This record gives sequence, C-alpha cells and structure tokens, in this order.
Amino acid sequence: MTIWWLILILATLASIGVAFIWLIVKINGNGLNSSKFQNESLGEAAEEDVEHVFNEKFREELRNRGLLHFEKIIGENAMFLQQDLRLTTAQLNDYMKTEISSKLKEEFDKYEQSIMDAKQLAIESIQKTNTAIDEQRSLMNQQLQSEMAAEKQQLVERFEKNMADIINHYVLEAIGDQIDLNDQLEYILADLEANKNAIIEDIQSGA
Amino acid sequence: MEPKADIKSVILPLLVVGPVEVGRLLRELLEIDNMIAQAKLTNKLETFKLPKTSSIMEETTRLNQFDLLKTEDRKVLFESLKDIALKAPVLHMSFSADPSPAFTAKLMDWLRREIHPQVLLTIGLQPSIGAGCIVRSTNKYFDLSLRKDLLSKQDLLRSKIVSVMEPAV
Repeated sequence: MTIWWLILILATLASIGVAFIWLIVKINGNGLNSSKFQNESLGEAAEEDVEHVFNEKFREELRNRGLLHFEKIIGENAMFLQQDLRLTTAQLNDYMKTEISSKLKEEFDKYEQSIMDAKQLAIESIQKTNTAIDEQRSLMNQQLQSEMAAEKQQLVERFEKNMADIINHYVLEAIGDQIDLNDQLEYILADLEANKNAIIEDIQSGA
Repeated sequence: MEPKADIKSVILPLLVVGPVEVGRLLRELLEIDNMIAQAKLTNKLETFKLPKTSSIMEETTRLNQFDLLKTEDRKVLFESLKDIALKAPVLHMSFSADPSPAFTAKLMDWLRREIHPQVLLTIGLQPSIGAGCIVRSTNKYFDLSLRKDLLSKQDLLRSKIVSVMEPAV
C-alpha cells in the first residue's frame, strides 16, 4: 500500500514538472510565432525575469520545500505503512487464529468423529463377541449337561451292572474279617437244601 | 463214577471228610494188618495187642462195630474203604475262610444225611466269595455265594438304594 502511495506522489511531482515545462515552452512559443525578431528583446527580458524569478535562491528554496514535502510524505507514508503493517499483522493474526481455530476445530471434530466411530465399532465388536460368547456358553452348557447326563447314565448303568460285585466288595471290606463261617452255616445249609435235588441228580448220573 | 449202590455200606464218621482221610484210614489199616501178620509169623498173636489207633480209625471201628483183630472185619473194612476211595461221590466246596472242625462236622452231617451217606468233601479257599460257598459236584457248579445272592436280588437292592438316595436328593 505504501509503495502505491509513493508511486502516486512521484507521479504527481512528475506531472507538475511536466506542466511547468509545458507552460514555459508555450510562453516561449507564442513569442516566436508573433514576431521572432520583435520579441527577441522581450524574450531576453523574459529570460532575465525568469532568471530573476527562478534564481538560485528560489530554486534552492523550492528544492528544500520539495525535499521537506517529500520527507513529510515519506514519513506519513511510512507511518501509514506502519499502521497498515500493524493492521495487517493484527488481521493476519486474527485470520491465522480464526483459520487455525477452525482447522483445529475441524480436525478435532474429525478426530472426535473417528474416535466415536472407533468406539462404535469397538462397542459393536464387543457386543458381537459377547453374543458369540453367550451362544458358545449356551452351547457348551447344553453339551456339558448332555455329556453329564450321559456320563451319569453310564455310571448308573455300570453301577447297576456291577452292583452285586460292588456291594459284595463293600461288605467284604467292611465286615469281611468279622463274618464267621459258623454264623453262615444256616445260610449255607439253606442254599444246599435249595439245590439238594440238583446235586443228588448230578451225583447219581455219574461222570 | 459208579452209583452208590456198588459201595459196601460202611458208615463213615464225620471226621472222615475227604479222600485224604479215607487214604489215611487205608494206610493205617494196612499197617495194623501187617503188624498182625508179623505177630502171626512170630507166634505172638496170643499176646498181641493193637497199637493206639487214630481217632478217625477208632470212630470208624466203633460206628461199624468192627474188631480190627478179626481178619474178616479188617478185610471188610479195607474193601469198603477201597470202594469208597474209588467210587464215593466227591463234592468240592469253597469258602472264604478255613472252616473249623465243628463247622465241617455239621456240614458233613447234613451232606451224609441229605445227599449221600458216604459222600466225601474236599474243601477249598476262595476269599473273594465273602459269604456263602461255591459247590462243585461231578458235573455241576453251584454258586451259593453272597455275590450270587445279591445278583439275584438286584431289583431289591436298586429299590433300597433309590429309597435311601431320594431323601438326600
């Protein structure tokens, strides 16, 4: 912005100089057109006047004024430039803040969304896993129960099949050494009595 | 084995249980016979006195009213014992423990009364029987053990076990 101001000021100064030169040339041209020879003296007088008006002091003053004006303009422009720079910096800061905030917010939103998605996925996965575990548990429970029932049935069948041996073994272990043959005599004789006919028949039939 | 009709009717004492005792009687009788023959050869028959015989021999002669000094009685007894050793029916009984002599005597009494008057018995040991016995005759096998009895009463056992288990369940 300051550069444009500087260019504008320089252009203004240049146009003023051109206008001034054009004015001098115009004045000089008019004198030549009316009567070159008649106006030679006038020309010279004008030149002298010009030389008189625009002498070294006047030029020096003009230069000084121009310099001062130029310095003033440059100072003002520098100030404007500084203000603009500050303003631009402030705007830039604001812009950066806004942009960064919006970007960050956007990124955070995306991040939050991705976290939410991941969380949702994890929840769904956990739910699926839980469902699968429940199904597996139920299946295993059923299998276990059926196997236990089968095992129980098998044990009961085995027990029933070998019940006599088991009880006999238990009786032997428990009171085996306390069973006296004399106490069993009646039982043995009763059994022999029950099988007496078969024994006699076998003896009589011979070998 | 021949039927019992062929065996000379000698009453066996209850102490004579099996073929072992019959063999012992035979050997003892032969010894006595030899002693008497020697006494006869040395002309000491007049003063000959019978040596002390075993209890089973004493019981046998007492039951059958034999006089062992008489040749005829010895001959009859010897022939009878030989017949018994060869032809008497033999039963084999297994018990869970070694039976006492009193038990064996009671058992022999029943067997000789109910089965055959000259039946012989061999006794075996089978501790796994528990209670009861196993009888093996000439051709047959009779399991009279507690195990067999329990097998025949399996339904009763099952119902008893169920009735005991139900309150617990």
